[in-house]
Amino acid sequence: MIVRKFGMRQSRQLLAMSRRAPISARFNSAIPTGEPVVPVMPTQEPEPIIQADPVPRVENPLVEMMSAQSQAKTPAQQEESRRSKFHKLGTSVKASYDPENILRNPPKPSQVTLEMLLAAGTHLGHSTSRWNPQNSRYIYGIREGVHIISLDVTAAYLRRAAKVVEEVAARGGLILFAGTRKGQKRAVVKAAELAKGYHIFERWIPGSLTNGEQILGHCETRVVNALDEVLSEFKADLADRPSLKPDLVVCLNPLENVVLLHECGLNNVPTIGVVDTDADPTRVTYPIPANDDSLRATCLIAGILGRAGEAGQVRRLKMAAEGQTTYKPISAAELRLDPFTGLPPGGEAQKK
Amino acid sequence: MAWTKPNVVQAMQSLRLTALPKPTSRLSTLQTHARNSRSYATEAEATKTPAPAAQEINFGTFSSKPARIIPASPAYFSGSPRFIDHVLKLESLQAKYASLPTVVAGEAPRMAWFKLAQFRDYVGEPVPMKKYKSLVKILQRLNRIQPDVVPAEVRETLGSFLRPGNPYAVQNEPATLDENGRARGKGKRKESSAVVQLVEGEGEVLINGKSLVEAFKRVHDRESALWALRCTQRMDKYNVWATVRGGGVTGQAEAVTLATARALMVHEPGLKGVLRKAGAITVDARRVERKKPGHVKARKMPTWVKR
Repeated sequence: MIVRKFGMRQSRQLLAMSRRAPISARFNSAIPTGEPVVPVMPTQEPEPIIQADPVPRVENPLVEMMSAQSQAKTPAQQEESRRSKFHKLGTSVKASYDPENILRNPPKPSQVTLEMLLAAGTHLGHSTSRWNPQNSRYIYGIREGVHIISLDVTAAYLRRAAKVVEEVAARGGLILFAGTRKGQKRAVVKAAELAKGYHIFERWIPGSLTNGEQILGHCETRVVNALDEVLSEFKADLADRPSLKPDLVVCLNPLENVVLLHECGLNNVPTIGVVDTDADPTRVTYPIPANDDSLRATCLIAGILGRAGEAGQVRRLKMAAEGQTTYKPISAAELRLDPFTGLPPGGEAQKK
Repeated sequence: MAWTKPNVVQAMQSLRLTALPKPTSRLSTLQTHARNSRSYATEAEATKTPAPAAQEINFGTFSSKPARIIPASPAYFSGSPRFIDHVLKLESLQAKYASLPTVVAGEAPRMAWFKLAQFRDYVGEPVPMKKYKSLVKILQRLNRIQPDVVPAEVRETLGSFLRPGNPYAVQNEPATLDENGRARGKGKRKESSAVVQLVEGEGEVLINGKSLVEAFKRVHDRESALWALRCTQRMDKYNVWATVRGGGVTGQAEAVTLATARALMVHEPGLKGVLRKAGAITVDARRVERKKPGHVKARKMPTWVKR
């Protein structure tokens, strides 16, 4: 066993050992080998020693600590410098994943990278047996019996969807974020908050669009001006208005929300959906091929779309501050008209 | 769900159709009056006066022009926006103050949260029981924050979910003898309820104005009616004056026992231990079980017949 150390195979190892690895240098003592400890001599600069050393020791906090100690005059100064340097010891973890970060500070659409999508696991599809062949154009390949979604396609479709959200927001549309799976609540609420949109994180009540008067009739609405300030003098005109419909629906789990998407289709409401390899991409207007089973993935996508909506809202309010609107505002006369007949209140009698 | 539509909105609607801004002329008041009188679709149209147009509003400035109709709450499409807004607000509070020290549930101040029906009135939406329970859970967690470090924000929010009048604030005072030296006690057993006035005396007993023997024919009932006095050897120290209503003889006798024991405790609180051991102040909460459909009695099933 001992003899093997001198064999051909181990000689490379030995060579490697003779090299000073940076990690071992880091834990080397500040005192160069063979030299005595000379902390009392102020003329003795530590720098020449460091420069003489092939290993970059300046980064070593221990060295700095020792040198600072040697420079300090009084014991109090010494203590202070020792303390300040001591806290620099240890490691600082840089690239770590904080699950809350994606909720707290979602990335902008312009910051989307394939690495980000990969890290969030958006590329993982379903078992190949469960696929919907309509998704074949989004699929990169198969790995261990699971379809892998092509990330460049995901990124492209995500950017397109983000543009749609931004433009709808800039035109004053109502954007509804729907994610009814367990755990999607916070992502949905955050996205709606950013985009000044609306959220659904519990069951979509079937008929909310097709039978809105019955289901949403009692929910409060308000008239706002272009600057989003509430105009309370029109409150009375809202009484017999039909319930509102969203102008764009973002659905994080289209598989469970077939009814929602169907109602949107009946009402000509465009939809954006996260389409996994087992979902039907034709159910939504703007599919985003991605993994919809990972909360991290859907959270990322919702956050990005929320940021897009935020940008659109900023743009709209900026234009409004200049006295312009990108959409046709509802006029006071229209508000006063009967929404069903288009006549003024009591106007039917006048007409006859 | 149209019934849930707030009356306010309907009222506003009728207001819009009727009471428009009135000029000071007498004519307009007459018109308003005419419109207030009810008209029917079967009446001739000519008799109806057309509704006057709304007064012009000055929309000179950009900011006073309406632009959009939007929902009041981001949870509009959920169908119960107010409830969801409350839940989200409470959850954000809970997350914000999650690090504050808490006390165990028993030491937290007792709070009387809205009952479900009251909460439904409060939010104006038909909230299911299960969802309200989950909201109360958050309230209870917030309430468990150590009382001396509770933020004002949390206190205010919790306060808005309390039912009016704090039922836990009233401390029931210990009963005392009245000016005539009488102690009053109430007791119930089965369907009977008894009120006993106990006064110091020579052991006279009047139950519904009758003597003990007249009131209770069975010796066992007589024994049990005065059991509280007997077990404490106070038979000849107090006079009992009882009113007992409802139920049968046994129930009445045992209701008198409980009422007497309670009244005796007002005179001599030190007897509580003895009375407890003797079973005189233990409430027997059993009642007759109701009969169920499909059963002969409460639980008895009809005899099984093959066909």
